[in-house]
Amino acid sequence: MKANENTSLKQHMGMKAKTRISNTVIYIILVIMSIIWLFPFVSIVLQSFRGGPVKGMTNEIIPSIWSLENYVALAKTDFFRWYLNTLIMALVVSVLQTVIVLCMSYTLSRFRFKMRKGLMRFMLILGMFPGMLTMIILYRVLKDLGLTQANAVPGLILVYVASSGMGYYVSKGFFDTIPKSLDEAARIDGATRAQVLTKIILPLAKPIVIYTILTSFMAPWGDFVFARYISFGASKGMNVAVGLFNWLSKDQINSSYTMFCAGGVIVAIPVTIIFMCLQKYYVEGVTGGAVKG
Amino acid sequence: MKKLIALVLAVAMVLSLAACGGNKDNTTAAPQPGTTTEAPKPADTTPAPGTASPLAGTYQIKVWAPEAAVELTKKQINDFNSSNADGIKFEATVEAVSEADAGTNVITDVDAAADLYFFAQDQFARLVLAGALAQLGQGAGTIVKDTNDAGAVAAASVGEDLYAYPLTADNGYFMYYDKSAVNADHVGSLEDLIADCEAANKYFAMELENSAWYAISFFFGAGCVSEWTTDNDGKFIAVNDDINSDKGLIGAKGLQKLVTSKSHIESSDVGEFSKGAAIVVSGPWAYNDAKNILGDNLGAAELPSFTVDGQSYHMGNFSGYKLLGVKPTTDAARSASLHKLAQYLTSEAGQLERFQAIAWGPANKAAQDNADVKANPSLAALAAQAPYSKVQGNIPGTWWDIGKVIATDIKDAKDEAGLKAALESYNTKIQNVLKIDTTGFILVGAWNDWKNDDEAYRMEAKDGAFMFTLEVPQSDYMGGRIVVPGDWGTDRGCLIVTEGVDLLDQVGDPANGDNNIVFKEAGTYVVTYNEAANTITIVKK
Amino acid sequence: MLQPLFVRNLRKKHFASCFWIGGTMNHISDLEYLKLPKWRRALIKIAQFFISIPKAFLNLFVKIGRFFKKMGLAVGREIKDIILTFKNGDWKTRISYVIMGFGNITRGQILRGLLFLLFEGVFLFFMFKPTGGLYWMSMLPSLGKEGPGKAYDPIFDTYVTTYNDNSFQILLYGVLTIFFIIAFIVTWRMNVKQNKLAQQILDSGKPLKSGKDDLRSMVDDNFHKTLLALPLTGIIVFTVMPIVFMILVAFTNYDGTHDGYSNALFTWVGLENFNTMLGIGGSGSKVYAATFGEILLWTLVWAFFATFTNYFLGMLVAMMINKKGIQFKKGWRTILVMTIAIPQFISLLYVSKMFAQNGMVNQFLQSIGVLKGLDYIPFLEEATHARISVILINIWIGIPYLMLIATGILMNIPQDLYESAKIDGASGWKQYTKITLPYMLFITAPYLLTSFTSNMNNFNVIYLLTGGGPTNAAASTAAGSAGFTDLLITWLFKITTGAESQYYFASVIGILVFIVVAAISLIVYNLLPSVKNEEDFQ
Repeated sequence: MKANENTSLKQHMGMKAKTRISNTVIYIILVIMSIIWLFPFVSIVLQSFRGGPVKGMTNEIIPSIWSLENYVALAKTDFFRWYLNTLIMALVVSVLQTVIVLCMSYTLSRFRFKMRKGLMRFMLILGMFPGMLTMIILYRVLKDLGLTQANAVPGLILVYVASSGMGYYVSKGFFDTIPKSLDEAARIDGATRAQVLTKIILPLAKPIVIYTILTSFMAPWGDFVFARYISFGASKGMNVAVGLFNWLSKDQINSSYTMFCAGGVIVAIPVTIIFMCLQKYYVEGVTGGAVKG
Repeated sequence: MKKLIALVLAVAMVLSLAACGGNKDNTTAAPQPGTTTEAPKPADTTPAPGTASPLAGTYQIKVWAPEAAVELTKKQINDFNSSNADGIKFEATVEAVSEADAGTNVITDVDAAADLYFFAQDQFARLVLAGALAQLGQGAGTIVKDTNDAGAVAAASVGEDLYAYPLTADNGYFMYYDKSAVNADHVGSLEDLIADCEAANKYFAMELENSAWYAISFFFGAGCVSEWTTDNDGKFIAVNDDINSDKGLIGAKGLQKLVTSKSHIESSDVGEFSKGAAIVVSGPWAYNDAKNILGDNLGAAELPSFTVDGQSYHMGNFSGYKLLGVKPTTDAARSASLHKLAQYLTSEAGQLERFQAIAWGPANKAAQDNADVKANPSLAALAAQAPYSKVQGNIPGTWWDIGKVIATDIKDAKDEAGLKAALESYNTKIQNVLKIDTTGFILVGAWNDWKNDDEAYRMEAKDGAFMFTLEVPQSDYMGGRIVVPGDWGTDRGCLIVTEGVDLLDQVGDPANGDNNIVFKEAGTYVVTYNEAANTITIVKK
Repeated sequence: MLQPLFVRNLRKKHFASCFWIGGTMNHISDLEYLKLPKWRRALIKIAQFFISIPKAFLNLFVKIGRFFKKMGLAVGREIKDIILTFKNGDWKTRISYVIMGFGNITRGQILRGLLFLLFEGVFLFFMFKPTGGLYWMSMLPSLGKEGPGKAYDPIFDTYVTTYNDNSFQILLYGVLTIFFIIAFIVTWRMNVKQNKLAQQILDSGKPLKSGKDDLRSMVDDNFHKTLLALPLTGIIVFTVMPIVFMILVAFTNYDGTHDGYSNALFTWVGLENFNTMLGIGGSGSKVYAATFGEILLWTLVWAFFATFTNYFLGMLVAMMINKKGIQFKKGWRTILVMTIAIPQFISLLYVSKMFAQNGMVNQFLQSIGVLKGLDYIPFLEEATHARISVILINIWIGIPYLMLIATGILMNIPQDLYESAKIDGASGWKQYTKITLPYMLFITAPYLLTSFTSNMNNFNVIYLLTGGGPTNAAASTAAGSAGFTDLLITWLFKITTGAESQYYFASVIGILVFIVVAAISLIVYNLLPSVKNEEDFQ
């Protein structure tokens, strides 16, 4: 009996040791990964504090002269105008896009109507065309509406929002996981379809709502291709990505790179904070929706 | 009922559509069928002396200038407003658009482009073909020709006509180096410089695989030429290029020395000085940035010489220009005013002011003689390089893509045969630029009412031969010509008849400017095109 | 106990069909299947996959055929109904054939009638106004007759330009007009149908629905239409219409020097652009076809590796962080997730400079003596290195997303499965292959497919890291000068913004990308178990 206990204890100890070793290995891997993942960001933040006459890219990681001058210099440029443009875009788009995506996905998840399958297949096929192709024509359409160059902000909002119905996929998957019996019960109690949506489904769909807001809020900050095509040659209509991207052109990079980093840090701050706070919902939304498709 | 929503949807679409349609008429100078879009002119078009100039008025304009020149340009436009005698007032929005990107931006949408824009010479050909440059009037043309150096005039001309105003003559390159890392005695020799760099673990930065503009340096050094000729519309019709020759082989060997060196990096960015470079081949625009990094250690010198088979060749370069373009407009008064402003900005005073403010080297002959200009170190280096440089004429956009891979091919070449193959491949590609798309040959002439209609007689390929059947109806003049689709005036598509001359009254002879072929009698003919020889044969059916 | 329920379900579905192995057609039951050795089971799976490919294709064509047959029959039915309605209709209905909504208004459905009437009014106005629908339609076959002209103005000594027809606008509004005409026909048909219905209802003595009823139905019975109205309008105007337009551009010669307005008109050229791109017919050079083939192949290779490296490594990281006994779970995740939160154009450009010949990584390796002197690893300078580098750097971007997704799914796996596996003495690896992996694969199969296709179009990573480089000498004369890491999508972009702005080639490539993506998706989609049973999840 005792011997038995001993061996099992030994086994137990052995397992514990094994666990400890494997955990240590994992910790080491995670630490190395963290360094690799954080390195570019830390470097960019450090670069943004680099002072001195050299404003271009260098290989030094820790600045030899610390200074806030890059942040001060940003105020003299159009940076905050671009920032405001992007913020406006991000806020408006996140609200409107969320409404549209929810309408679309809720409908496709809950209603069974004649064209439903056809509609979904149609949108699947549409999604297979590379979006970049339509850049030229969207530019022309927006131009005819007077929404390019200096007026690009409403134009970009229009395009982002108008095509957002295509991105119903993830949230439809999420709605699919909410039991239909809830709807039916409410309908029996005399609620209209609209009431079912607002009173019953929406409160349950909080993660996916936040997920949609989050992703649509983040998109305008990084769009430099389409936005550049729409707002070319007019600083007033640029978003922050296009404006910053211009600072990397050959004739400006050596005088603006550290400022670019400072701008990048200011862009990253709100997005990162919001993302950190809402990470939980992001995970819930994406796992509830995306995986199911 | 059920379809109500669909109905609303449709109405919404209609309204948005109607909105588009309506808006279009207001915002763009849209085509109105039936109405002639004649340029609106001021009421009184004869400027009487003593009265206000017909140009007087306020114009809203957009100007694209590189970041560095934005403030200066604003100031110069204000100066123009207060000084011009015609009462022209410009309310200008000056945006920062790099002169390297201006061409791409303008071509994206000529209609929405700036009225005046700075651009680098390499985009000139594209911009002319895109209809984005307004031709200069005779007065303005004469002034530009008289006051600027010959290269600048050539850079802004298509045939005899001028399409832009020369701004600077400093769009060439030379060598910046770090005095602390490079032995001053070695500056004249490429081999010594490479050896120095390799010994000191320093980099030699020159764009070769990414830019034909720099790579050509070695071939010019070896005495090659590469010149393109355009017709009066800006289309390329001939090339004089002997890079695929023994001289070119010498250049290739020189290029290979640098491109295969471990110290060589692909860059023309003086920022490389802060990342271990000792030498950067770049231009005057980078002077201030280089100075910021190296301070007193910055040296600027002409390009070095390279040695092949015991003989030394001084590396050449392109001497290029920056130009100011005026976008075409439909309004004569506006156009004339814009040209006046462009003249003002590119005048001697304007160029000198620009030199003093941002150190751009003038193209104006008088301004070039200014003592300060001559004393500027980067412009002095460029001037030292000048005897070895070739004027950058009009070059087709695709040449830049073809020319840059020559360095990659040379880098990969193992032996002399490899080098020769690289040059051969380059040559084939540039000849292909001129080659006309053979699926697009058409006949135009009296036999089809002089229609220049692609569908009229299109050649089809059958077993590698391009042939078609041509019906020539009886008429007074049974003549016409074989051309490429497009412009009537182009000669390059008019092909020489080698067989069937006896069927013709007249044989086209492009060399003498008479391009038409005239048939003796009506009938059905089979016309065959020989792709290799670029000739046609005619057989009566 | 090691076979969890869902795996068995999956198999049942999969193997109820017949499959071919070892030269004969065999029907085998679940039980027989499970008795087979592992390798045979794998073989069966693979065989089944390939067998179903031709079937999937065949199905597609059969489906298309059926679709057209159905369409033809439906149109016939509609026309018959229209004629019959006119024959049997009263005067109100008949007048409605010309004046839309007339019947509705006279029968008391004022709101609906007015909407019909308004639509007709707007349509007619649009079609017949000067530069209206009729004009655009009439210009569509030629795409414009007169290009811009230049004239010398001797008074001001300057050149003025006259702009005439605008091919681009003709094509754009021509397409819009066609859309509009279709919308009109559909609406007109609706109008006829409604009149018939209203007449029938009135004849049978029942009351018609009022405008108020209509409004109520918008939030109840027809709520889905209310919800879909706005999103679908947006999609039609800003997605469908542009795609139709761009498809048409592939059949024109629209480029930087034929922009249809400022320099020269563009016109229809038929299939010429496709022939040039694919090297079909004529003496046209094969350089486009060769370049296209090479880029397509690399695009597929890239998409495969980009998808699966991220998938498995992301899952691995998620499992490491989830492992019992690992502290600061949230902290590790947060660190990784920063890559999602920071815009790519900021981080990727920095990363690309890090891997340059004289970048941080090479200089670090030189300083610690791994590389001697000026030796360097051509991370982004040499074709094969560059291709591997972009795939590796892509892992850096992709792992966080996959880690988040995998975390969520892993938490959902019923823990008792693992408990019972442990009791049975299954090793960690066995647990992974028997429980974790099948579960993940089953649930994320559609996600894998979509991420494969979106990786094919992953513009940002390539554009920001290498710009498509290093230069591919052989491809230099193909439009846009493609490089070794160029994907079809970045090549398309280069062509659009390149020296000659050959929009028609961009359009041709776009269409070809669509065909490739659609073919892959169709095949895989039809093979996936989890997409077929949409209802099972609710």
